[in-house]
Amino acid sequence: MSQVLILLRKSLLTFWRYKAAVAITFLVPIVLIYLFGHVFGLYSKDTGPTGIPIAVVNLSSEPAAQKLIDALRTEKTFRVVTTYDLGKGATRPLTEADVRAGLNDNWYRYALILPADLLPDDGFGVRMKFLFNPRNEIESQMVNGLLQKTVFSNVPQLLGQSLQKNARRFLGGERFERFNRTIANTVADNFGGDREKIYQQTIAGDLGFSELNRAGVEKTPAAPPGLRRLDSTPALATPDAQNQGANPQSLNPAAASSAEQESSTNIFSRMVKIETEQVAGKELKNPMAARLVGGYAIMFLLMAVSGSASSLFEEKSSGVFQRLLASPVRPAHILCARFLFGIILGLAQISALLCAGWVFFGLDIIHHVGALLAVCLASAAACSAFGMLIAAISPSAAAASGIATFVVISMSAVGGAWFPVTFMPDYIQRVSRLTLVYWAVEGFADVLWAGKSLLEVLPKVGILAGIAAGVMAVALWCFSRGKLFD
Amino acid sequence: MLTLRNVTKRYGTITALDDVSLDIAPGEFFGLLGPNGAGKTTLMSLAAGLRTPEAGTVALAGRPIATAGAAARRVFGLVPQTNALFYELTAEENLRIFGELQGLRGSELKGALDDALAAAQLTDRRRSLVKTFSGGMQRRLNLVAALLHRPKLLLCDEPTVGVDPQSRNAIFEYLQQLNRGGVTIIYSTHYMEEAARLCSRIGIIDHGRILALGTLDELLVQLPFEDEITFPVAPATAPLVARLAAEGEITAVDGTHRFRPRTGYPLSAFFSLTESLNLPPRLFVSQRPTLEALFLHLTGRTLRDA
Repeated sequence: MSQVLILLRKSLLTFWRYKAAVAITFLVPIVLIYLFGHVFGLYSKDTGPTGIPIAVVNLSSEPAAQKLIDALRTEKTFRVVTTYDLGKGATRPLTEADVRAGLNDNWYRYALILPADLLPDDGFGVRMKFLFNPRNEIESQMVNGLLQKTVFSNVPQLLGQSLQKNARRFLGGERFERFNRTIANTVADNFGGDREKIYQQTIAGDLGFSELNRAGVEKTPAAPPGLRRLDSTPALATPDAQNQGANPQSLNPAAASSAEQESSTNIFSRMVKIETEQVAGKELKNPMAARLVGGYAIMFLLMAVSGSASSLFEEKSSGVFQRLLASPVRPAHILCARFLFGIILGLAQISALLCAGWVFFGLDIIHHVGALLAVCLASAAACSAFGMLIAAISPSAAAASGIATFVVISMSAVGGAWFPVTFMPDYIQRVSRLTLVYWAVEGFADVLWAGKSLLEVLPKVGILAGIAAGVMAVALWCFSRGKLFD
Repeated sequence: MLTLRNVTKRYGTITALDDVSLDIAPGEFFGLLGPNGAGKTTLMSLAAGLRTPEAGTVALAGRPIATAGAAARRVFGLVPQTNALFYELTAEENLRIFGELQGLRGSELKGALDDALAAAQLTDRRRSLVKTFSGGMQRRLNLVAALLHRPKLLLCDEPTVGVDPQSRNAIFEYLQQLNRGGVTIIYSTHYMEEAARLCSRIGIIDHGRILALGTLDELLVQLPFEDEITFPVAPATAPLVARLAAEGEITAVDGTHRFRPRTGYPLSAFFSLTESLNLPPRLFVSQRPTLEALFLHLTGRTLRDA
């Protein structure tokens, strides 16, 4: 037993002396738990995704349309965009053409169009159109669910207005006013209340549906906010539903409700027609693969390149650097060769992954060779530079390995390789844009999901190339001050 | 060929080389003898231009090594203390890489590869991975990898550490052959036998300072005795010890008496004394003093203890 205890003490001491292992053991899980907490809304009710841009085109003159927009604005999850920036502070209201372009360019991934016939003249009910770009599966599910909730919370008043509009058309102005006066007086006489106030409420469309709807909602068992939102969207969540693409379909929240949750909301759902249209990725054979491949490719690439850069330490300890530097070789040659090796390794690895995606999931890489090559090259360069920086700032191979593991996992999480960046706190979203993972994931999604051309992805390629150049410059500076070549 | 003038090199608070001056002539086989941590590797790395001194200059053929271009660097080859090889590659692949880095191409490269593999006695293993080689084979390959471009100056930093006697002898013979062919060699070691056997001139280094410099004979002259006679500690030799005390220095270590006669004391007098005490000649071994003795004389420590 004493031998066991002695060996146990040895293991504990060794572990404690290996600071990188200690950091990996404790820091990585803590960072990831923190991030997952935000994603799944495990903190207070005030947390959760914020500021997801949603474009709203309001072509309706109905007051209730503006109320619906205002209701969307009160949702912290959304950042409602209603105007097109003309520059120099000038704006104009968004048009459907604007939002279609914006959806394709990923300025926003969701758009609600409130048409001029929001309350149709030829029937009872409400019409609107929802355009979306499900570039990120989890985000799309959540947004669709929350949007439904907001719309249906405001449906009663819209329906009341629709009813009033039809009644005015059917009865004529004078009889319509008399009818409403009679209703208001009857209600006041039998149930109490101010006649004029009830009349104003009636012509505004508030016929008591709000109370009916509220009662229905209260019957629904309470669920954690984040989970409820995700659970409420199966109608749009399935790939099949998304892939129906431009064919208008009715968004039917009844499908999202279990039998036990049957409520008066279902009454409204039959009166509300929301046409949905997926504007990007609808032609993809395997949308999920197109969405995921970028994130995972970049994560594996980072791991491979970091490991490769760490091997610089092995060459140092073996004396190879001494031999090389005693010949007509300078440290810059060694670093440059290692950087290029990282790029080639990265290109080969991503190519293999994309080919596997093509074989197994039907990923369309043939028609995007040019754009993919550009994104792959820039991503590989950025990852290779990152690996060099890890080697430059690390005092040993063991430390480099530990730092690489910590940073790769953290950066993959923060950069959106695993889950949507929009689910994270604002400050992490800002940090996310500083990571190469974010831009690489966006670049791959642009090509594989949105089918963008080489010219269209050049800005992101440029950002990745800039990151590569900047990080490599810092790495070289660190190398010049470090002891790797001593 | 190589000149160090008042060279000082520090690592933080540790002075690895302290005001060292040294001239290595063309064709010389120069030995740098000292214990571990004496400053041998630092001196080698300065000579190879891998490090720059805090003070002083290192010049190769009259030009400062720090500003030497690629052509000047091809003048020398470095054999690092460790086996600086790519273990996942074959012997031939290793040599090809190092040869190409030295600017060799085509038939010149092929000839150099063949010669190096033959010299390392690895021709039949040229396509074997280095990681499958024995320690001695790796050492030999480590040596010839520095010679592909036929340098005029070879810097060998303890090239026989951990090598079996057979490989060690092969390395010695090859180095001597190179030296006879005109290659200047600087050879660092902490084995006095190697320095004594190989080197035409030896510098003894300790704590970053050159303590003594010269040929083996010139160095040994610095000792206050010319010969050393050893004999066993035994009752029969006790009277001899008493009589010798006045004739030189006598010590007893590990069951052996070591007698270092004073200068001018004739060996004939010693053997007359042993005859008079009826001690048989086979008990006595007379030998020339060693570098070990010189190091002990200079530092008060043995090379092994240092």
